[in-house]
Amino acid sequence: MHASKTLEKTLVASPERKLEADADLAVVRQVQAGDVAAFDRLIVKYRERVLGIVYNMTSNREDAADLAQDAFIKAFQSIHRFQGQASFFTWLYRIAVNSTLSHLRKNRLRSFFSLESVREDDPVSKELIDALTDKTGSGRDTFVRELQEKLNDAMQKLSINHRTVVTLFEIDGLGHQEIAEVMDCSVGTVRSRLHYAKQLLQAELQPYLLK
Amino acid sequence: MKRDAEQKVTVEDLLRLKRAERPPDEFWARFESEIRAKQLSAIVSKRPWWDRFSGVFAVARRHQLSFGAAAAIALAFAGVRFVGGYSEIISAPKVATVRPAAPAPAAPVRVAAAIERTARPQEEAELALREAAPQPRPAVVAATVSHMTQVPAAIAADAASRSLFAGGIAITLADFREPATSYPVHSAFGTDSDFEPAIGPARQQASDPLAQVDPAEERRARLLAPALPAYASGSPRAVAGDWMRDRDTSDDRMYESMDKEPNDHMLVGFRF
Repeated sequence: MHASKTLEKTLVASPERKLEADADLAVVRQVQAGDVAAFDRLIVKYRERVLGIVYNMTSNREDAADLAQDAFIKAFQSIHRFQGQASFFTWLYRIAVNSTLSHLRKNRLRSFFSLESVREDDPVSKELIDALTDKTGSGRDTFVRELQEKLNDAMQKLSINHRTVVTLFEIDGLGHQEIAEVMDCSVGTVRSRLHYAKQLLQAELQPYLLK
Repeated sequence: MKRDAEQKVTVEDLLRLKRAERPPDEFWARFESEIRAKQLSAIVSKRPWWDRFSGVFAVARRHQLSFGAAAAIALAFAGVRFVGGYSEIISAPKVATVRPAAPAPAAPVRVAAAIERTARPQEEAELALREAAPQPRPAVVAATVSHMTQVPAAIAADAASRSLFAGGIAITLADFREPATSYPVHSAFGTDSDFEPAIGPARQQASDPLAQVDPAEERRARLLAPALPAYASGSPRAVAGDWMRDRDTSDDRMYESMDKEPNDHMLVGFRF
């Protein structure tokens, strides 16, 4: 009863998230009952999103792959402790974010970036790139690469917490309440970090913003 | 770069571009095989022994406010109990059962006193309360001649009822200390002529031991002195008094210890 109330409070803004959480909870109960193979469904469902978060926080695809795998393994090892007070998705995100934050704090001085290529089969990204440049061919690829590096530099200038908030909100599309639960802070803190981070990004990316 | 006035690119749009940074499809095959290997090793590997307590710690973490409040209350309670017990010990010491000597009567009497060693706890509490209450300072006892002082009649009767030998062997543990002489406070610039008259009565009071000496006792002690060569150097009566006190004190302790043994099977009892 208490778990469902918490879940409702968490996901009150998105009914589809509630359905998703209920479905996840059913799978989690199967895993807790001993059906280890059921966990594969959760991996397949969330691997891209978990990898996306970790990748955008670290800007390193090798580290991101390792950290995402570790997050899934940690979740698998601790699944008997999951009681359904939050959604599985929030719980898994929390594990991934905490592992990544710990990794970033440990390797603060090591900054090696390896970026994935932008896939232009996504209509949103294609439209955006079209809006930014009229070049075609290699010129367009160079521009996209340059923009990508500039974005990455701007993100790396943010603090770890600010970067995490921006990643979760702008890139992964989580709500303020969900980010607050994932990062274990208040909604006000999330909003303030988001506001500050956007101001910094705006200053850094000014040449690419069309007025 | 296009600079169309109608089109606006914001920070949010640029950040949305990062969503399109995705790994190729072959990456996921490798990802899946790696995670499966890790999952298998996680199943096979033994969990450390301390991991069993993680559930307990998780519960404790969830109810940390309740546990913290309970611990604080328990600590406060234990602290109050400890401090209260300690202050009781300080305020009512059980050894302070010695009655102060009564004011010396005008006519010197043979001194007898008693120790209430077998006093019940209630009696001890009474004594402690009586001790704590402000009492008139007893008169100076002529302790230089004998350590025996006079005991009030009530105490002597009480002691006699306790022991057949109470009249003979009762030993006083009256306060041998001389009462604190209350010298008048003088300023640092006072003269000797001011000081001497002020200090006179107190000094006289403390240095008048013969005032309460029985002449007959004194004479007998003087006559017995040569018969006790071992104690010739000291006052024979005082030495005898010390010896009697030591002997009877040790006897009292022995009887007390035997009498207080809560052994129901012990048929032999010592009662005096």
